[in-house]
Amino acid sequence: MENLHIAAMERSPLVDFNFDDGVLKISGESYPDDASRVFGPIFEALDDFLSNDRSNPIRLDIELIYFNSSSAKALMNMFKRLDQAAVQGRKIEVNWRFAAEDETMREFGEDFSEDLTHLAFNLIETVGG
Amino acid sequence: MLAERYRAFKSMMDERGIIFSFSGYLSEGVLYSLGEALRHKMTLEDTDITTVKKVFSVFVEQSQNIIRYSADKLVGPGDHGIELSSGMVTIGREEGHFYIVCANSMRQDQVEKLRERLETLKSMDKEEIKTYYREQLREAPDADSRGGTIGLIEIARRASAPIEFDFKPEDNGTSFFCLRVSI
Repeated sequence: MENLHIAAMERSPLVDFNFDDGVLKISGESYPDDASRVFGPIFEALDDFLSNDRSNPIRLDIELIYFNSSSAKALMNMFKRLDQAAVQGRKIEVNWRFAAEDETMREFGEDFSEDLTHLAFNLIETVGG
Repeated sequence: MLAERYRAFKSMMDERGIIFSFSGYLSEGVLYSLGEALRHKMTLEDTDITTVKKVFSVFVEQSQNIIRYSADKLVGPGDHGIELSSGMVTIGREEGHFYIVCANSMRQDQVEKLRERLETLKSMDKEEIKTYYREQLREAPDADSRGGTIGLIEIARRASAPIEFDFKPEDNGTSFFCLRVSI
């Protein structure tokens, strides 16, 4: 299927979903007033991918600097979909990358990972610039 | 006269430690520009990254609440037409803390629900707010809210002291609402 590439805008993140090799990436910032405008197309492509390809491993790399509360809900929703897809044993990992000194992003990673039991949710500190 | 009048106005704001204050019609574009200015200012003053993030987050959530819930709104044509919502956002420093105040008119019939939500948050300690946030993160969105509930919890979570709020009934079936948060 077609890969999904959406350039970063003022209040929306860079989205780079390479479905051929199962590596998905979201980075930058996300604080649109209406999160569905940003995450609608992402969910659509992801759901398509998950129903077409049910076995290959998936890696989702997230490196967000800031997101608002409605984007947080959308991210949780996305992780839940992936967790569900991992129930049957499919290898799915999420790499939650954050600057080592950024307590807020570390805590968000902990918030998200709490109930995700089937996928691997890795908190990864990066060296701040 | 003119300079005297506006100098007094500016001094009054400076004395209150105000970094900036916006009163008028807010849009997503205005929010973005003010937010950038705020982050640059704090970064240039060597504010630590966690504080910058907290202040910015409360600023965004409060501004987006004004954009969503202000009773005084101008909406352009089309599904994604420009939305201008009247309100006020003030950010300042006092006694080593940042504070953010937002204010707007809202429909009187929405006041009780908001008051209840804010009273609940005000009565919670840090751990309770964190647990409540995690619960709401997993809830399906309210039908009548564009993400307002979790936004308020996010605001309370970033606050270093209990949130303060007040309502004052106005004519035309609206109430003037303000929320003050210290970081």
